[in-house]
Amino acid sequence: MARMGAVDVALWGMRIGVVLVVVVGTIGTLIKGRYTAAQWFDFVMFGLTIGSIYAQIALGYTMVYGVLRLINFAHGDIVMTGAFAGYFVAAPLDRSGFLQNHPVPGMVAILVVAIATSTTIALLTERIAYRPFRRVVGLAPLICAIGVSFFLEQTFRGAFGSAVKSYPSPEWQRASFNVIGFNVPGIDVLVIGLALLFMLVLYLVVQRTRMGKAMRAVAEDGEAAALMGIDVNKVVVFTFTLGGVMAGIAGVFYAFVYKQVYFFMGFTPGIKAFGAAVLGGIGSIPGAMLGGFFLGLVESVGPSLFLDGIGIPAPYQLRDLIAFTLLIMVLIFRPQGILGERMAKKRA
Amino acid sequence: MRTILNRTRSGLAGMLAAAALLAGATSAMAAQTVGPVTDDIGVIRIPKGAPIQIGGTWVLSGPDTALGLDERRGVEIAFKDAGGQVLGHPLKLNAEDDQCNAEGGQTAATKLAANPQTAVVLGPACSSVATPGAPILWQAGIVEICTACTAPALTAPGRKPEYAGFARTVFSDSEQGKADATFIANVMKARTVVTIHDGSPYAQQLQQVMADNFRKLGGTVLSQEAVAPTDVDMHPLLTRIASEKPDLIYFPVFTAAAAQILRQAKETPGLERTALMGGGSLLSADFIEAAGPAVVGFRIGYPDLSPDAMGKGYPHFVDEYKRAYGEAPISGYHANAYDGAMLAIKAIEKVGKTDDAGNLYIGKKAFRDAVFSIKFEGISGPIACDAYGECSQFKPSVLEFTSADPKTFGIGQNPKKIWP
Repeated sequence: MARMGAVDVALWGMRIGVVLVVVVGTIGTLIKGRYTAAQWFDFVMFGLTIGSIYAQIALGYTMVYGVLRLINFAHGDIVMTGAFAGYFVAAPLDRSGFLQNHPVPGMVAILVVAIATSTTIALLTERIAYRPFRRVVGLAPLICAIGVSFFLEQTFRGAFGSAVKSYPSPEWQRASFNVIGFNVPGIDVLVIGLALLFMLVLYLVVQRTRMGKAMRAVAEDGEAAALMGIDVNKVVVFTFTLGGVMAGIAGVFYAFVYKQVYFFMGFTPGIKAFGAAVLGGIGSIPGAMLGGFFLGLVESVGPSLFLDGIGIPAPYQLRDLIAFTLLIMVLIFRPQGILGERMAKKRA
Repeated sequence: MRTILNRTRSGLAGMLAAAALLAGATSAMAAQTVGPVTDDIGVIRIPKGAPIQIGGTWVLSGPDTALGLDERRGVEIAFKDAGGQVLGHPLKLNAEDDQCNAEGGQTAATKLAANPQTAVVLGPACSSVATPGAPILWQAGIVEICTACTAPALTAPGRKPEYAGFARTVFSDSEQGKADATFIANVMKARTVVTIHDGSPYAQQLQQVMADNFRKLGGTVLSQEAVAPTDVDMHPLLTRIASEKPDLIYFPVFTAAAAQILRQAKETPGLERTALMGGGSLLSADFIEAAGPAVVGFRIGYPDLSPDAMGKGYPHFVDEYKRAYGEAPISGYHANAYDGAMLAIKAIEKVGKTDDAGNLYIGKKAFRDAVFSIKFEGISGPIACDAYGECSQFKPSVLEFTSADPKTFGIGQNPKKIWP
């Protein structure tokens, strides 16, 4: 039996500590009985809602990483551009009463403009900023992505001001349903349902279409794919298009749920979605979806479930800590992420 | 013999006080004689015709811009009222955007301290900026006159020596928190509260003062929660708070997070009858825009800005403000900023010395002593600093928002004063 080093002991200590907190905290919370079943249901719904948005953003990270091995740190800001574009359609539609009276065409119009904007900006960033770095090895592409992120934030700040803008909130958005005694907000159902639908469509595009096949081929081995006659540039453009589309949808959903847009709004969800993509196994589309939902749920349920039971005050200030500690735990056990195995083996 | 002992004691006490005053600052600075002025920590020489450079640090971008911009305008009007010059030298404002956070505060203070011509710094709007910024400035012998940072620790009797150069023409939240607790307990008749802060010195200290005073008044503080200023999803936190069934949630945080709490609280089952109250950081049209329809009926604790509570010159100032910027004051600390600038101008007038060639000299310690000793009738009320730099007097009030249209923002109308 191999002897354990100090680092191994520390890692095992950390694992045991986290498991203890989770188990003892959960038992303690459930014994206390502070929350009703309806409140636990609400926690789960909130988690699934934010998780579905993280998942959509994470898809953009994971697809670009899969094809280019580039962490596109500007992706959160692409989401912001979509939300802003949607706002400039949603606000006049709301003022005129159209959004209230015709929710379906109103939402379609908002989504179309948001998607068109975010996709255009995603493609422009690829063509202008990332393509010149395609063959560059090292950290330059990553630094370029961070630069693009700042550029987009400051451009939108300069163009539209730094104040928070309030997203419209028509009456139908505030509707809720009663399902077996639980109150279910309509906007949450809409966001989760449409997010799942769009993610399913994206999955089918990548798995079942010719271009999707080419994308997977480039992700496996770009040079070999090029030798087989695949136009790598076209595949990269297609990848950024898909990422831009998902970013536009995520931006509108995010703004409709949280009712605010401002130039820095993409940063935090972008970072969290990147964490979700890594958690799920970066490069894996189902992994990004799973990682997004997992992160959202842990953020929402975790503080009350794990920390209330052991008497930690103000547990919600620790929600990022809980979420990212669990992320690290998962990566300690599975460095390739939850669904990252296949990809890792093939690349090896 | 006794007289000699007493003299020795008082001399020693004076030396200790001077040592404490200088300890935080000036490790790299020593007594200096430049032109006709000798000063313990340094002298600024302003050549004939050159401007007197006054630093400014406020939040000038992001969701809380109105807070900082309003104060900057107050300072600009003060400069104008002073004729744009002091002792024959034009006044120049070097304003930095500190973004209302500690990192921005450090950067702004470092930049202003690096300019040897900075005579004094006005601002900031946020305690999270002043907390790291004031020691950096005093290290360079520069006095900071804060125009809206209200965290009690900044002018508390036990403050550290590195804050000896810090004064403020705005009240302390030790007063605001007490007033808020009184209103909540005695007027709203709330018996149980939950507080939320965002980790900033302002929010953390204000909610703590309110909670302590609320307990003294017989109320129960069920929990003291915290969020990050960038948090958007408040639903889980509010659901947790709903399980405690408080009469009131008190959250003196900043625009973006406060608007999210306000909007989402209205949607959270179990909080339908829970009252909500915020702090002075939310007095702006931007907050109304961010919070949307949920803002109607929302209350904030604030110093009384009604004309009868302010100084005699306030109505004239408001007219000037409207003339200069084409709108009524966009937030609530413009008068404090005006008085801060006037305090700085009076201190320069008091200690500045001009030589035969027309060069101006300002002793840094003499300037600090002048700031702490000058008394005058400001537009926000009487200005007179105590030994710890608290120069303003506090008159409490509670304001209530009446409309969700940001264009209706106007202090006294939306929000309107409801107490006292």
